[in-house]
Amino acid sequence: VSETTAECSRCASARERGDHRCPVCGLANLEGVREDLPVTSVEVLRCEGCGAAMSYSASAGAPSCAFCGSVLHLETFDDPLEQADALLPFTFSRSRAEELFRGWLDSLGWFRPSDLSSTSRLESLQALWWVGWTFSTEALVSWAADSDVGTGRADWAPHVGRTEMAFEDVVAPASRGLSEAEALHLIDSYDLSSAASPESMTEPEGVVERFEVRRSQARRHVTAMIERLTLERLHQGVIPGRRFRNESIEVLARRLVTRRLGFPAWMFAYRYRGTAYRFVISGQDPECRLGDAPISVGKIALTVTAGLAALLGLLAVLVL
Amino acid sequence: MAANPDHLEVRCESCGATLRIEPLMRTSRCPYCDSPAVVDRPATEDRPDPVFVIPFTVDRAAAAAAIRSWLHNRRMAPTALRRARPEQVTGVYLPGYLYSATADSMYSAVVGEAYTATRVDPRSKKVRRVRRIEYHDVRGDHACHLKDVVVTASTGIPNDEIEAVEPFDLEAVLRYSPAAVAGWVSEEPSLGADECLATARDEARARIDGRLRRFLPGDTLRSLKHHVRFTAESLDLVLLPLWVFAIRHRPDREPIRLLVNGQTGAVAGEAPVSWAKVAAIAAVVLATIGAGALLGWLL
Repeated sequence: VSETTAECSRCASARERGDHRCPVCGLANLEGVREDLPVTSVEVLRCEGCGAAMSYSASAGAPSCAFCGSVLHLETFDDPLEQADALLPFTFSRSRAEELFRGWLDSLGWFRPSDLSSTSRLESLQALWWVGWTFSTEALVSWAADSDVGTGRADWAPHVGRTEMAFEDVVAPASRGLSEAEALHLIDSYDLSSAASPESMTEPEGVVERFEVRRSQARRHVTAMIERLTLERLHQGVIPGRRFRNESIEVLARRLVTRRLGFPAWMFAYRYRGTAYRFVISGQDPECRLGDAPISVGKIALTVTAGLAALLGLLAVLVL
Repeated sequence: MAANPDHLEVRCESCGATLRIEPLMRTSRCPYCDSPAVVDRPATEDRPDPVFVIPFTVDRAAAAAAIRSWLHNRRMAPTALRRARPEQVTGVYLPGYLYSATADSMYSAVVGEAYTATRVDPRSKKVRRVRRIEYHDVRGDHACHLKDVVVTASTGIPNDEIEAVEPFDLEAVLRYSPAAVAGWVSEEPSLGADECLATARDEARARIDGRLRRFLPGDTLRSLKHHVRFTAESLDLVLLPLWVFAIRHRPDREPIRLLVNGQTGAVAGEAPVSWAKVAAIAAVVLATIGAGALLGWLL
């Protein structure tokens, strides 16, 4: 269920429930503002408990009654910890995921301990929907930078410009369970068009990770992501030259729409000789996986020694 | 002047006494039973209905503590002031306008890039390295949303005094309701909307200027000119929480006014400078220099 209520009339971005102002351009949301008053009236706020007159209390952050202490709740600004609007389905089963995990352990190669696959103990395997914000927006980007093009005696010359950009379904990970690098690694394996409402997901018994960030914080995160991607695109041919410095950008966003999605992943926790390791597979692509595993110090030392010995042998032959 | 000049006479709902409400006041307290009343007048062009209120979060005690520590840190202020107790403390919801717009600017400037050149001194034939600047003319367009410009709508407190305690956290605004101002002094706007719009545009232009200065690259910047066009402007009446302190340190002087931002606790105001302290410090400095010179001459 989307929380979006209406479009901002200035920048056409989606407003969300509880927003008194447009998060992108600051236009007041006049929905729910009271009607014009026909006559002058005088109001005394009364306590529902004891009937005494109430005042707004700065320490309580609400109108409160000085006599009986009861507090009246106003429609306050809330900054919710948000839930996923939609989830992407898992495309393969738990048993298949387990097979993939074993296959991965076997495939790690010579520098891993020989008994890795046989000694590792799987401690948990969880179906998880990790969360992220996806956003789409149009952006009019004003930029300025120094680059190595058009220079005279100095190393740098200034360049400015303005360019239109569009971002479609970009994911800003908001997961606590996965690091941003891990989440970005998995991103390409998902089919965003498969998103459906959480109620329609039955199998498997995934745990939707809670959005661990508040709305305002997530919005700052999205803004930072837009700026980062904008800068990346500016470097790919928009700003003339190869070397840049003093880059600044101003993004005028329009039609910013965000969704909160849950992305499926299989999370493995396994233990090898007392140390815990982690392995993750995308819930929609068996090939997309990442994880860490112990390396065998003995084997590496052996290889290095053998390599050195060979080198010394070669030197000895050459010298003699 | 914007406001309706009529006093309003209403019966106190609690004790039946007649309450006289000043024309520029939105709230009142019954002098007999202390019941707080909030007035709702039909909106007019220069006295629109408030859209937002930024609620007080700093209470009287916290505001007084902020003032005490602020005064304590004014070392050059008269000692009597630093120890003075406030004569009057009022928590007031001051009317202001919240302005936002899309700003399209055309700008031009001269950006300088520094480089190091070597110069041979014609007399001594020594080679010196000197910093030189290469100038580039730059012109372009800049567009941004300007969100949080707040200006006063009251003749009581001028805009620069509000600016001194800004910013307010505008993400925490509430929709106006009489319940949010009950029990506090709340004023009606006494400046017209047109006048406030002009002030807001000036403030917006100053912000664009600051943004462009940070925006432009290079090592130096001069001759920055810009022409800003504002579109999709909006102006909404917002009630701003302020603690107003009147502090008198000498009976023959007007009290000085200090403001505390009722949301963030920021303090601003102008503390007078004690000329006696300045003179004492100057005397000590001069005496030290004199003594040093004398000592140097003697040795």
